[in-house]
Amino acid sequence: MGNSINYIEQGGEVEIFKHAAANFLPVLIKGPTGCGKTRFVEAMAQRLNRPVYTIACHDDLTAADLVGRHLIGAEGTYWQDGPLTRAVREGAICYLDEVVEARKDTTVVLHPLADHRRILPLERTGELLQAHSDFMLVISYNPGYQNMLKGLKPSTRQRFVALSFDYPSKELETEIVCQEAGVEVELAQQLVLLAQALRRLKGHDLEEAASTRLLIYAAMMIKSGLPAKDACISCIAEPLTDEAETLGAICQLIDAHF
Amino acid sequence: MEELVGKIWHRLVWGQSQVEFDSARVTLNDCIDQLAPYYRALGGDTGIQIEAATPRRFKIQRRFLQRLAGSHQYFSVSWQDQRSLRLPKSIALFPDAELNKYLYFWLAALAARRPTLNHWFGDNQQACLQLLQDYPGLKKRYASLAEATLVVRDQTLELEGDQLVREQAIRRAILSPGSERQLPLAPGSALPVPLWLYSQPIRLVCAAAEDHLVNAASDRKTDTQDLSEAGRKEATRIDDSRETDGLMVFQLESLFTWGEQVSLDRCQEEEMDDDLNTAAQDLDIISVSRQRRAGAAKVKFDLDLPAAENDDLPLGEGIRLPEWDYRKSKLVQDYCLLQPMLADNTEPAPLPDHLRGIARKLRHRFAILRPERQWLHRQASGEELDLAAYLDALTDPGAATDLNQTFKSRKAVARDLSCLLLADLSMSTDAALTQEQRVIDVIRDTLLLFAEALSGSGDQFAMYGFSSVKNKQVRYHLLKNFAESYSDHTRGRLLSIKPGFYTRMGAAVRQSTAVLKLQKTQQRLLLIVSDGKPNDIDQYEGRYGIEDTRQAIFEARAQGVQPFCVTVDDKASDYLPYLFGSQGYEVVSDAQRLPEMLPKLYLNLTGVAG
Repeated sequence: MGNSINYIEQGGEVEIFKHAAANFLPVLIKGPTGCGKTRFVEAMAQRLNRPVYTIACHDDLTAADLVGRHLIGAEGTYWQDGPLTRAVREGAICYLDEVVEARKDTTVVLHPLADHRRILPLERTGELLQAHSDFMLVISYNPGYQNMLKGLKPSTRQRFVALSFDYPSKELETEIVCQEAGVEVELAQQLVLLAQALRRLKGHDLEEAASTRLLIYAAMMIKSGLPAKDACISCIAEPLTDEAETLGAICQLIDAHF
Repeated sequence: MEELVGKIWHRLVWGQSQVEFDSARVTLNDCIDQLAPYYRALGGDTGIQIEAATPRRFKIQRRFLQRLAGSHQYFSVSWQDQRSLRLPKSIALFPDAELNKYLYFWLAALAARRPTLNHWFGDNQQACLQLLQDYPGLKKRYASLAEATLVVRDQTLELEGDQLVREQAIRRAILSPGSERQLPLAPGSALPVPLWLYSQPIRLVCAAAEDHLVNAASDRKTDTQDLSEAGRKEATRIDDSRETDGLMVFQLESLFTWGEQVSLDRCQEEEMDDDLNTAAQDLDIISVSRQRRAGAAKVKFDLDLPAAENDDLPLGEGIRLPEWDYRKSKLVQDYCLLQPMLADNTEPAPLPDHLRGIARKLRHRFAILRPERQWLHRQASGEELDLAAYLDALTDPGAATDLNQTFKSRKAVARDLSCLLLADLSMSTDAALTQEQRVIDVIRDTLLLFAEALSGSGDQFAMYGFSSVKNKQVRYHLLKNFAESYSDHTRGRLLSIKPGFYTRMGAAVRQSTAVLKLQKTQQRLLLIVSDGKPNDIDQYEGRYGIEDTRQAIFEARAQGVQPFCVTVDDKASDYLPYLFGSQGYEVVSDAQRLPEMLPKLYLNLTGVAG
């Protein structure tokens, strides 16, 4: 990362996170795609001066991928810590992104770590790790997908301090786009206005709302010299939908904004 | 000869007075699919439909030729009310088709910005001004629209005096919105400004009064549902409450009449419904009466059950099911009698033509759900060594894995999921959506497409429909069960679904849960397609129905079934969150899109959505 991450607070989340960290509590972050969940965790890790291990969860993720496994070396087999175990030992933030994508039985290994015990039993080596005092567990997911087969077990959810994220307000988002892409305020305002128009289509014509991330991409492309309309079409309209009619409507909207 | 001369005259005079450009004509139907999202995105209400406006009469100062031709009396202006946004059926105002199309988008943007007009001249200018300020992209196009509009006005009008002063003010307002405060007074009305919105037509009598009478003829919507071609008509409410009004004010006995039999073929005119439609098209203003006698003349018979020989085949004696009584807060055992039914006299049928294309697309899309070959670990034999298993066995000899099961093999693993689709077939689905389509037709298409899609995926699925007549007969129609494959026979059954009776949802949900529980899959999905609240003619209405359904849903969840409801009821957000939880339902506000939406939703729900 090198230079410091500039994170603009949406409303109290920094304070809550700090308190959770001070009390050794794990944190759950909910929010739509591209609204700044990962960015927030990275920024907080920097403020708390702890390393962060990010694991992008997928449905093939096994407990061994988190905890660790035996490998074969020149001297025979040896134990290799997984990212979770490493974070527990070193005192880092372990961030499980899109945790609902992992199978439910996988997330159960988190349970003893996420309550007052703060331990990680390593079944295969017989070790019982007591978490470092700087260890912190953070998980995130997007509740908007309405997926029946995925979701957190109530017993998992209830071990976390939960934060709910949404897309920032107009003014904040303008500030964020300006800052991230280094563009003029006027351009950022137009982009945010466009995003707000597109967000009204969520549920009706679009499955997902236009994210702040998409705006920043578009702003960056414009900044580097691409015409505004082309940038918006390829960075905002096309990623949002495949439907020709919806795409046509979005292009008309972009035309109205630039 | 007369006709020929008339035609030539018409062409000559009408053609002279017309300033429209037919080659550049853009119709509302061409761009409505894009207009609707555009309107919503710019802040328009999601519940508002976009439809064609009927021409409205304006008394403008016409030129001689225009008067001669009888043209320039009616203009399609745009307006909106709480229900819909009316835009001209087609626009051919400008020689450039692109500009005509753009006018639609401009009007939609304007309507989204200003839902109600208080002051036509001022509000339109203000709204234009705001739009141009907020959306710099609109500026250039507005400029070309305004310019073209002025050219058209030049060609159309020949004014002097007060009217000229007014016209000049309007032109200035078009060119630089917000510049004019007052519209100068002048006789007659000004030539309508196509770039602006108009207020809704004024109704003559008690337009604002609430209609307290329940329209007994609401089921007949099919017959009179408008006329998408002709656009909507203006309506006036007439006061016909005085019974002495009418032709005959004296007693019938004293009327001397003389009758004579004339054989005259009038069967054409006896087609009441057709006749009403043509009559309605010919009228400029349709008078609406508050009397309900005409509507009440149609007697409804839907309360009676069909005779046994015309009905579907009942399967077995029926199943007794409990029902939740919220007042006592307990389940009343064996309260409902659910009768499984099978339509036994249906013919096998192929897929209707209009669904073929989309069905092919859906099958293709759903093919990705087909079982993929996956690596199975810790197998006794297989193509590759399972190193992890081998290591486990080496490092931890006491553990369950032994050295014999250290292979990986690739096999197709079926998705461990079964889905039961439960469709509401109550009488309310008989309501018309458009002239040709009723809700039940949409549900039928939905079922067909859903079956097509799922049969392409390999997921197990079953389909049932339900309706009810009190607690004594909850009719549970078997359309396709889990065991049979989707074939022409099942399709015949899906095609034969008919609306009838009421919606006792709780019992149907309980039975579906029982059916799903027999499926030995890990995930069981209960998809409910509905068009309204649970209700029946006994106490099963309002809170009672809601509470019972909610209880049934709870029971389903407790038994490992995941219920999800898809509805076309606009007001569903009032009660569905209570029944299914905020993530457990979806309202499809445009019912006609349901057939396409449901398969998509299924993909979303079961996890492989792109």
